[in-house]
Amino acid sequence: MVKGQMKIQQMAVMIVAVFFFFILVGLFFLGIVFKDVEGSAEDLQRAQAISSLGVIADMPELNFDSGESMTLDEDKLRIMSGEFGEDYDLFWPVASIGVYKVYPRFDEVEECPGTNCNYYEIYNPSGHENLQAGDGGYRDVKTYSAYVAICEKVRESGSTYDDCEVGKLVVGVRG
Amino acid sequence: MKRGQFNFVWLFAIVAGGAILFLAVYGALRFGETAEFQSATEVAKSIAIITDPLQAGFAEGSFGKILFQQETRINNVCFDNGFGKNDISVATRAGVGEEWNLPGGATSIHNKYIFSSGVNSGFDYYVFSKSFGFPYEVSDLIFLTTDNYCFVNAPDGVPGFDVPNIEVANPSGHENLQAGDCDVDAVRVCFGSGDDCDMIVYGSCSSGCDSIYDEGIVVKDGVDMRYVGDLIYGAIFSDKGVYDCNVRRLLYRAGKIAEEFVNKADLMDARNCNTNLKPDLIVWKSLVENASVDDLASLRTMANVIDRKNRQEACGVW
Repeated sequence: MVKGQMKIQQMAVMIVAVFFFFILVGLFFLGIVFKDVEGSAEDLQRAQAISSLGVIADMPELNFDSGESMTLDEDKLRIMSGEFGEDYDLFWPVASIGVYKVYPRFDEVEECPGTNCNYYEIYNPSGHENLQAGDGGYRDVKTYSAYVAICEKVRESGSTYDDCEVGKLVVGVRG
Repeated sequence: MKRGQFNFVWLFAIVAGGAILFLAVYGALRFGETAEFQSATEVAKSIAIITDPLQAGFAEGSFGKILFQQETRINNVCFDNGFGKNDISVATRAGVGEEWNLPGGATSIHNKYIFSSGVNSGFDYYVFSKSFGFPYEVSDLIFLTTDNYCFVNAPDGVPGFDVPNIEVANPSGHENLQAGDCDVDAVRVCFGSGDDCDMIVYGSCSSGCDSIYDEGIVVKDGVDMRYVGDLIYGAIFSDKGVYDCNVRRLLYRAGKIAEEFVNKADLMDARNCNTNLKPDLIVWKSLVENASVDDLASLRTMANVIDRKNRQEACGVW
C-alpha cells in the first residue's frame, strides 16, 4: 500500500473516532442536563403542592368561614366530592385533593358519603386508590398534607354554633 | 510525497473537520436555545408558585416584588371559557439578533386572576393582591406591573395598600399638597380631574357606598373600563382585553360558588339550620354566571342586598 493511502486511512479512522467521541460526550452532557430539567420540574411541582395546601384550604369553594384560615366546611366537602366537583377538574393546581377525618382514629378508609365515613375525595382524575399521605402515596403521585379543622354550622335549642373536627388535607403532585 | 496526495489529505481533513465544527457549533446554539427555553419556562412556573403566598387571603391586601437579573418580558394571555385561565410566559432580552428571545413554555394558571398588561417588560415587578368579594369571597385579585404610578386627587383609602411603586399626589383632605409631586416617568392616574392624566377614574357610586369611587369607570387610551370595588386596580393596571377576560372569569366563578351555596342551603335545611337565601342565590347564580363587565354596577346593588340578608340569618350560608 502506498504511504499516502495509509495516511488517509489513518486520518479517516481518527476523524471518525473523534466524531464519535464528541457525540458520546454530548450525549453524556445532555443526559446530565435533562436529569436536571426533570429535577427542576419535580422541585417546582413540590413547591407548588406545598404552597397550594394553604391556597386550596382557603379557597371559597372549600373554606368554612372567610375569616378563618385552614378551616374547611364539611357541607362544601360533601358537595365538592359529589357530581358538582366534576366541573372543577381543570381548575385545581395539583394532581389530587382529598380530605381525611383523623379523629377518631380509623383502620380503614371509608369514602363519603356513607355512615361513619372518614374520607372526602375532592379531586382524583386518575382514580387511584385512596391512600393517606405518608403511606407512599398513589403510584406516580407524591402526596403532601396539612392538618385542618372541618366544621359545620349546627342549630340546637335555638342557638347556632360551629361543630368542628380535626382533619387532614392531602394534595398530590405527579412524581 | 506527491503534490496530488498532499492535496487530497488536506482536502479530506478540511471537509471532515469543517463538518464536525459545524455540527458542534450548531449543537451548541441549539443547546443554548433549549437552555434559554428551559430557563424561561421555569421562571413562568415560578411566577405561578410565588404568587401563592402573595394572595391576600384573609388580609386586606399583600405586596411583593420580583427582581430579575436581566430584563425580562412577561406575557399574560387570558382565556375566559368557563373558569378560564391566565397563560404566563417569559422571555429575556436577546444578546444578538432579535430584541427578545422567544418566550419559554406558557404556564396555565386556572385558579388565579392576574391583572396586568398583555406584555410587560422590566427588571423589577411589583405584585400585590386584593381580596374580591361579590358578595361572598370569590378570589384574590393579583396585580402585576413594572411601572410607577401616581394617583392624583385620590380619595381616602385609595390605594388601600402601601406599595412603593404607587405614590399619591394631592390626596383629598390635603389640599395644601400640590399635584406635580409625581415622578416624571410615573403613569398619572387622575381621580375625577387633574392635569396631564394618562388615565382618569370617574366614580359613580350613589347608594350603599363608602366612597363615590366604589364603582365607576376608568378611562384609559380612550377606552372605558367599568369596575366595582377593588376591581378599580385591575382596570388601572391591565389592558382592557386582560381586564374584561378576568372579570368574566371571576363572575363565572362567583356563579359556581352561588350554585354550591344553593346545595349547601339544602344540606343546612336538612339539619334544621334553615336559611331563606336559596331563592336569592338561584337568581343571583343565573345573573352572574354569564354576566360581563357592563353588568357589574347593577349586579353590585343585588350583591349588597343578598349580603345584608345573609348577615341577618342565624345560619348564614357564608
